[in-house]
Amino acid sequence: MKRRSFLKSGLAATSLLAAPSMLKPAFAAAPVTIHGLKSMSGAFASYGQFAEMGSKLAVQDFGPLLGAKPEYVTIDTEGNPGKAVRKVQEAIQGGAKFFDGCTLSSTALAVGKEVAKGGGVFMTPAGADEITGTECNASTFRWTVPTYGAIQETVRPLFKAEPKKKKWYTITPQYVFGDALLTAAKDVFKDLGIEHVGNSYHSTQEQEFSGYLTNAMAAQPDVLLILNFGGQASNCLRQAISFGLKKQMTILIAWTAGLDWFQSLGPDLLEGVYLGAQYWHQVDNPTNNALVKRVKEVYGITANYPLAADYIGTKVILEAIKKAGSTDGKAVAKAMEGMSYDGPTGKEMIRAQDHQVIKDYYLLKGKAKSEMKDADDYATLISSGQSFPQGDKIACKMV
Amino acid sequence: MPPLRPNSGCGMLNLYLFQILNGLGLGMIYFLISVGLTIIFGLLNFVNFAHGGFFMLGCYLCYALLQLTGQFWLTLLLGPLIVAALAWVMEKTLIRRIYHLPHTFHILVTVGVALILQESAIIVWGPIGKSIPIPEALQGVVIMGKFAYPKYRLFLILFSAAIGFILWLLLERTRFGALVRAGSESTEMVSLLGTNIYKLFSLTFALGVGLAGLAGVLSGPIRGAQPFMGPEVLGIAFVVVVIGGMGSFLGALVGGLLIGLVQSLMTTIWPEGASLMIYGAMAAVILLRPYGLFGRA
Repeated sequence: MKRRSFLKSGLAATSLLAAPSMLKPAFAAAPVTIHGLKSMSGAFASYGQFAEMGSKLAVQDFGPLLGAKPEYVTIDTEGNPGKAVRKVQEAIQGGAKFFDGCTLSSTALAVGKEVAKGGGVFMTPAGADEITGTECNASTFRWTVPTYGAIQETVRPLFKAEPKKKKWYTITPQYVFGDALLTAAKDVFKDLGIEHVGNSYHSTQEQEFSGYLTNAMAAQPDVLLILNFGGQASNCLRQAISFGLKKQMTILIAWTAGLDWFQSLGPDLLEGVYLGAQYWHQVDNPTNNALVKRVKEVYGITANYPLAADYIGTKVILEAIKKAGSTDGKAVAKAMEGMSYDGPTGKEMIRAQDHQVIKDYYLLKGKAKSEMKDADDYATLISSGQSFPQGDKIACKMV
Repeated sequence: MPPLRPNSGCGMLNLYLFQILNGLGLGMIYFLISVGLTIIFGLLNFVNFAHGGFFMLGCYLCYALLQLTGQFWLTLLLGPLIVAALAWVMEKTLIRRIYHLPHTFHILVTVGVALILQESAIIVWGPIGKSIPIPEALQGVVIMGKFAYPKYRLFLILFSAAIGFILWLLLERTRFGALVRAGSESTEMVSLLGTNIYKLFSLTFALGVGLAGLAGVLSGPIRGAQPFMGPEVLGIAFVVVVIGGMGSFLGALVGGLLIGLVQSLMTTIWPEGASLMIYGAMAAVILLRPYGLFGRA
């Protein structure tokens, strides 16, 4: 027994002696880790894969941060708010502080609350107005333009380009996102003297639009404004064209998913259709040109919206940590407030009041296949601009 | 002539008439989607939750074969045959082993098959959906007053009606059909009369799944191909089969048309509830006739 006790104490003593050299790396700058919340599986997997590429690239290309190379970890949200929240809670318990991503608004809203409780920082490209509106919080930041700007920057320039088209019909998914777009559209219609000749609401599960398109035909509008998104917008547009609506009226989709969505539809369907977009790879500014070139080098593809959004979201967090000189969540969030930087849409700025990134939104017009200069040259840039609720109209009351 | 407005009496009437045409078109697609499911259930008493997955496979084969051959008619022939051949092999190797087990096992295995089909589609064709062009000969619209109806959808109505008629002939006027119908009453009896019941099962399973593939190929130009479209299609197919009566061919036709008409008319009467009313119609039918319109206890 004595011999055993001796050995034990000897080992303990040796450990203590060795401790300074073992502890040294721990004190010498633990690397900053960004956790990417990406829908890598489930119905939104196509989005998540590009989003992950963006975050990874931002971390990979960032130099040393607080004395060490930053690291990146993906958390698969599975496009499911419940699972995403549980995984984020686990990550926070494990010391995670910095998060970027979330495709779905419902997931982003739920995750934002968790990150705020944990005192971290969360940057998201999700769409719901509430993220930087009524449900804003000190930890959550949003890169995408909310519904107000998406409508202002598509309906107004289209009406300016085609002022004789005064009768508009809307097709709207009946949930918060669709209703927000519709309300914003009605306000612009009123302002511009546009006659709103009708609206068809549809459920969030709908994939068959022939009935709604028939309602639109009966109202004989000049412009059909489609307010749904993703797969629903694909089917709505595809079916509208098969019903010959493109020849009868102008079609505008206010909020498209951008290049990867265009690729799934092809030029024959997109030709002549007006398309609202958060990002477009052909926008000419040094940061975007460099991003497009780098994405081509690393991944061999053209930069698209999910990739660009999560690239810049992640990069902004890293820049803010550098600026704050600390990994304290509050200090980093403070550093992000009011921060100006060169982003893929040009000069971008994070508004301190609601944590909304002030950036351009685009109106594009689908090109004919014969006009395309390369495989991803699907659209012409018609206009760009920044529209955000100001003053009293900012719904966020930051606590 | 002044334009017809939906709020004028004549305009509204035309709108409803057009929605009925729309509903017929939709209903025939729903019939095609669900008839295979009902045939399989009728004979094999087997619940195939992979039906939507095979529909999706039909859509992707439509895309792939069109890319390869550029010929829609050849695609329309080959696509369903490939799906049916796959089903035939699957029946021989997997499905046959679980017929005798309770329905929960059928569901477990076929949900697994559906997931394999879905993930395979993602591996082969990627997670982003594919658009499928309408064949050139069927592009364009037929003008009907102030409305326009796609030629392709008219073709779908006629083609589905023709397929329905051929199926009816097959099930009602051929030896194969007689055996299937007899088998759905009593497989033991048919087997005792000297018929190779396993061969009959394989053929019926391949036929039912092949019809899902055919519906997929035909729906491709309307819906495009998406890896996650299977569950939604399966939901519609089950609603139609429950309304019509599990195992009833006529039930699939009437159920499909009923659902198509309800959905289409409701998009004008109560647009936000159009999808909901599909299930409303199902609930109403179940309340009045628990075994469906043409089902038997």
